[in-house]
Amino acid sequence: MLKTKSIHSPGNIILSSKENFVRRLSGFLGRGFLFLVTSTAAVAILFIIYFIAKDAIPFFQIRENAFAEFFTNSHWYPSAEPVQFGVLAIIIGSALVALGAIVVAVPLGVAASVYLSDVLPFSIRQFVKPVIEILAAIPSVAYGFFALVVFAPLLQKQGGTLLSVVWWILAIPLSFLAVMVLSDLLTSKMSSEKRRKTGRAVLVVILSGCVFWALYSVGGALNNLNITTGTNALNVSIILGIMALPTVVSVSEDALQAVGRDFRQGSYALGATRAETVIKVVLPAASSGILAAVLLGVMRALGETMVVWMASGNAAQIPVPWYNFLEPIRTLPATIAGDMGEADHVLGSARYHVLFAMGLVLLLFSLFCNLVSEWVVSRQMKKLRGGA
Amino acid sequence: MRLETRKLLDKSFSGLGLFAILIMSGALLVILAPIFKRGAEALFFEGTVEHRRMLLDKFERGNRAVLEEEIARVKAVRQPIYDILDRFEDEQTHKLNEIIRACEDLGNSEGSFGKRIKRRLNRLERAETFYDRLKIVRDISLRAEKYNGPVADLKHKAKVITELVSQLETQKEPFFQLKEILHELLGPAPGEDLPVLIRKQYGQSRWDRAQVKLHLFFNVETWDYSDPSKMGQLSYTPRVEQFRGTVLEELFPYVEQNQKELLEPRWTFYWGFLTDKSMDAHMFGGIMPEVLGTVYLTLGAIIFSVPIGIIAAIYLTEYTRGGYMVSFLRSCISTLAGVPSIVFGLFGLAFFINTVQVSSSKSVLAGSLTLALLVLPTIIRASEEAIKAVPQTYKSAALSLGAGKWHTVLTVVLPSALPGILTGIVISMGRAAGETAPIIFTAAVSVMGALYNPIEALSHPTYALSWNIFNLSTEHEAVDEIRHVQFGMVMVLVMIVLLLNLTAIIVRARISKKLQT
Repeated sequence: MLKTKSIHSPGNIILSSKENFVRRLSGFLGRGFLFLVTSTAAVAILFIIYFIAKDAIPFFQIRENAFAEFFTNSHWYPSAEPVQFGVLAIIIGSALVALGAIVVAVPLGVAASVYLSDVLPFSIRQFVKPVIEILAAIPSVAYGFFALVVFAPLLQKQGGTLLSVVWWILAIPLSFLAVMVLSDLLTSKMSSEKRRKTGRAVLVVILSGCVFWALYSVGGALNNLNITTGTNALNVSIILGIMALPTVVSVSEDALQAVGRDFRQGSYALGATRAETVIKVVLPAASSGILAAVLLGVMRALGETMVVWMASGNAAQIPVPWYNFLEPIRTLPATIAGDMGEADHVLGSARYHVLFAMGLVLLLFSLFCNLVSEWVVSRQMKKLRGGA
Repeated sequence: MRLETRKLLDKSFSGLGLFAILIMSGALLVILAPIFKRGAEALFFEGTVEHRRMLLDKFERGNRAVLEEEIARVKAVRQPIYDILDRFEDEQTHKLNEIIRACEDLGNSEGSFGKRIKRRLNRLERAETFYDRLKIVRDISLRAEKYNGPVADLKHKAKVITELVSQLETQKEPFFQLKEILHELLGPAPGEDLPVLIRKQYGQSRWDRAQVKLHLFFNVETWDYSDPSKMGQLSYTPRVEQFRGTVLEELFPYVEQNQKELLEPRWTFYWGFLTDKSMDAHMFGGIMPEVLGTVYLTLGAIIFSVPIGIIAAIYLTEYTRGGYMVSFLRSCISTLAGVPSIVFGLFGLAFFINTVQVSSSKSVLAGSLTLALLVLPTIIRASEEAIKAVPQTYKSAALSLGAGKWHTVLTVVLPSALPGILTGIVISMGRAAGETAPIIFTAAVSVMGALYNPIEALSHPTYALSWNIFNLSTEHEAVDEIRHVQFGMVMVLVMIVLLLNLTAIIVRARISKKLQT
């Protein structure tokens, strides 16, 4: 005889009250267990905030006037006598490379995501996606190594030429377009067709002359640029921009996809071209999602350690003028990583705690960015759902 | 606006997107190409006889009989070089002896002057080396020049001696440099004591490095700092100029003609790069310890994070229906994903090492736990997506057959979500393997004693590919000499990560195909 007590045997479909109780209890306990395990993630983030703050706060207690020194002094001399822990230059360095990375990543990333979501057919998109995934997957230390060993010497030796080539590649098509559109707009008010044509031709010639002269002088200036060191803010910005690209592309593509088909079809029905549809309808509707993409890109650039540690030159100084990207700078993560080796055997010193204070600044900023981007995305979702 | 302009704008708009995609792909190529090209050179290169000698000595690899024959051949080719060096030294000694004879001539002169010179000449007997004697002779010549007695001839003789001494002295430093570079190129000279440092025991093991050294052998580097507004300008002058009129002049054409015979470069596939441990701070040997460390850390991170991640995903998808608690949890998970990696490192140091003290110092355990936290959000999200993608009909069917909720999840939902979950795990492995910042304070070291088995390693610090790439390319004392090792390491790390990601991409493609049919 088979003795089965499981629910599979038809005889036991109705449970006794004891069995029922055991079942409910085990179900409850099971759920509790699952909940506990799941909350590990929540506990982790709370622990991270707590433990970073716990080691950061002593810095502000040990030193007099530490708060003002931390944020307004730009002299970082952690092992000099007297010691100075001014982090301003380092914060500015971080902000600078984040800005540079955004300048590289956002135009490229948004253009690429628009192309992926609105122009490319699905079959080709499948081949482009892995490119983005691989860009995201390459370890940061490999990017840093590339920046230090390949890119920095190139920038130092042929930086001027390189920059002017990039300038020409970017500027020529854009300025050509600008000339066409401008001359078209300026002549659109003219009455007769014939006058409009001649006016346009004249304007095109004049404008392109001016534009070419401007381009040429800028290109020449770039070509003669003397780059003293290849490990500078420009190098790091470009590499960080490339690293932030996948984030920007995937988040803004999600945002563009979230804008429904009906928006696009409505715009096409009114006679708009694809460009006009994207620029005037899709992008505004997805603007908050793209803002989230920018924020996440900033976070990626700010939080990156290896690239800036290896290739930024690690000079704690504010460039003169501040937008001089050709000077070496120093960033928060690089300072934490680089100085901990000298600080962790003097546990409890101001030098040890100031690094945690920097970590706290970094952490709080990334939390802020994360919350804002999450809020922005959820608001967009709500709006689009309401609007559709 | 005219219709043509609008069309043009539309086209250029698409062009802009295409341009962005091309730039992205181009950037990927530009970054990967040098890494793979120069990384491959770590495994596949023209190895010299020194490389084979090192392999036989240190790793017992290679055919001893053949190699000995080869070494004898090379030795025969190298012998003339050392002969020339000896002849040069003889020549120098000969010149010195002539000078000494001239000094003795001075010493034979009358009066207190001659006595003073003689006293100094007596010191020569105690002098052991050539350069000690040269020093004494220089002393004599300086003294002799001060002579202001009646014999005019003496002053002239003293001047001649000084000149000859200066000649010998100016060749001292260049000769040392020459010997030094020959040592770097060919290894220790015959009869020389075996140096302690392994890198000094062998010449150049790679032909590409040997060529660099050969260039330095034929040319002297000089830096020109005359223009203060620019950085120093590097220029090369032929080394032979330093030895014009000496025996050493013959050396340079001889080496030039016998470059290859001196080192016998041959194409080598050095698979040991992946399986050997390193020798003398990566001057020789492979990167196995680093690869092993990365594997330990990655597996550790996965072992800790996968159970938690999958359970959390099950809870979030199957057992909850929204609510504040759940949205709070989700918020926390996405926040955790946004924490900068260096902050994870700080947390690992402050919590796992200083507070909980999972180990007394850096360890694989602390590093794995830190990395586990880092990849946890990725695993949760991927598993959630995979579980959500399981069709509702599966679950309904299981429930209708009388299976309980937990039973359904275990036997129906999880197996069908498994490929998706695996994809997430594999991508997380790639992330964990490549991360550097979290393990700087928690696990990675650049120098350590022995290698450990997985269990011992848990409580010991470890090498790791990512950390050692940084370390070798910035803090190593001979950064330029081991570029190939650095590139090789980067290539191996990138390959590991790319292979993992490729697996994920393929699995995902197969899932989506399955879902479509």
